[in-house]
Amino acid sequence: MTKSALSTTFTIGVLALQGAFSEHIQLLRQATSTFNAAHTTEYQWQLLEVRTPEQLSRCDALIIPGGESTTISLVAARSGMLEPLREFVKVHRKSTWGTCAGLILLSESANRTKKGGQELIGGLDVRVNRNHFGRQTESFEAKLDLPFLEVPGVRQPREPFHSVFIRAPVVEKILPKREGIQLEEAEKSETVVAPSKHPKDDVARQAIKADVEIMARLPGNANALSKNEATAADVGEEGDIIAVRQGNVFATSFHPELTGDARIHGWWLGEVVKLVEQRRAVSI
Amino acid sequence: MATELPTSNGNGHANGDVGSQQAVKEGLARMLKGGVIMDVVNAEQARIAEEAGAAAVMALERVPADIRKDGGVARMSDPQMIKEIMETVTIPVMAKARIGHFVECQILEAIGVDYIDESEVLTPADHTHHVEKAPFKCPFVCGCRNLGEALRRISEGAAMIRTKGEAGTGDVVEAVRHMRTVNAEIARAKSMSLEELRVYAKDIQAPYELLKKTAELGRLPVVNFAAGGVATPADAALMMQLGCDGVFVGSGIFKSGDAAKRAKAIVQAVTHYNDPKVLAEVSMNLGEAMVGINCGQMPEADKLAKRGW
Repeated sequence: MTKSALSTTFTIGVLALQGAFSEHIQLLRQATSTFNAAHTTEYQWQLLEVRTPEQLSRCDALIIPGGESTTISLVAARSGMLEPLREFVKVHRKSTWGTCAGLILLSESANRTKKGGQELIGGLDVRVNRNHFGRQTESFEAKLDLPFLEVPGVRQPREPFHSVFIRAPVVEKILPKREGIQLEEAEKSETVVAPSKHPKDDVARQAIKADVEIMARLPGNANALSKNEATAADVGEEGDIIAVRQGNVFATSFHPELTGDARIHGWWLGEVVKLVEQRRAVSI
Repeated sequence: MATELPTSNGNGHANGDVGSQQAVKEGLARMLKGGVIMDVVNAEQARIAEEAGAAAVMALERVPADIRKDGGVARMSDPQMIKEIMETVTIPVMAKARIGHFVECQILEAIGVDYIDESEVLTPADHTHHVEKAPFKCPFVCGCRNLGEALRRISEGAAMIRTKGEAGTGDVVEAVRHMRTVNAEIARAKSMSLEELRVYAKDIQAPYELLKKTAELGRLPVVNFAAGGVATPADAALMMQLGCDGVFVGSGIFKSGDAAKRAKAIVQAVTHYNDPKVLAEVSMNLGEAMVGINCGQMPEADKLAKRGW
């Protein structure tokens, strides 16, 4: 199936090996119709649950949902999906968004994994700390200010984004940009790293030139409120990093898929369209 | 295949007690969907389960098959043993409390388990009352045989439901019966007018508002897993195709010949439940399944599913 360079059809996949994939499909459905209403171009969207390499190959962009990252990683490996996922993210450099477990899988380095470590996909030069806030009784909700949701030209204050953190990871360190694997990270004990891959073409190479951008932080006091014993001083004024982007890869440590709010999905679709159109223009 | 559970559904329940914790409690259950939760009795089994790809483990002293065999009173497990399991694996750890035994629940919450199963597999501690679950910070999962029972547990604050099935038998027939009953009752409720729903709520002893919501959604308003008698990858996929969101496996894994292999196979089967080719592949050479007890020949008094009210 060849797509015309001018095609306005986009296939958005949601990795459906385990976890809250249905929730992402529902919010994508909501976001695509809002997106179309706001644009003159009549975009066509196909939403796809992805369980096989063949389904993945049909996708222009992918969401890796919340779930258990060890389960998703093991099932991916046994379903012949791990390498195709790495190619998708790191060789073809297609748009990918991970939430919670997805953030862990898309990181180049991760802490506090199960004994014997776990396989990562990689794509983001960051180190994540799994279950950063603790166990389920430390899970919480918080209202976030997300600057990237700002609508150009609209002056009124942004509506806060109600977010849910469940046994959530955070980005504990932005790593130096690397083409190969994160060597210093690999030498640390109890830290796992993702294998390196070479980008396929110019568009993909451009994506790896990008720096890691911090897209959102959890304000120290919000975190302190969730844990009665912690104070703002303990967690630092700046707060934990809970959303990052590097080129084609975006990740959040919280679950926008557990709210009825599709604004982040809508924003991300815009990013997907930009990257796919760039690629389609090159391939004419 | 499971009917979609709307994303913003996690904000309250029939008690009118819209604790902000409800979205967080139901949220973890959503993260477990499409996964397998395995019964384990020690840290070593927990590691096998984690390596097999379990989405969570249920820590207990004896698997249901042994509870049946040994008889006596089955209680909450030693918190020390549960803590060891919590320290050994990074996936969520659940633990069981007796029906109505709210102090066991307080203890489990105090040691920080991720989910409490108020379970009929243990000997009930209260002949009439279930635990009032909403005030706990730790979320609860409860068993059901039918829609009324499921909605009563949700109204008490359960953030996740499972079929009761018949634990420790390796016979899936009761889990199928319970899931089919819930499905049929939801289908009936869906076709009813509001007046009829009021009467139906009385018939099945369910809170009206929750029944109405269920009828609108066309499914239970929380995540719903299969449990009780699942022993093979085919059993697990059967429950998924009947509409469950995921599967608990109790005795089925560690009472079989090759636990690690069977556990992996069941995990693959739950992901690829609609792909018979994958199911055939993972079902091969699994070694011996648990021997099992035929539920049809079991004396009524031996059935655990009858516990709970």
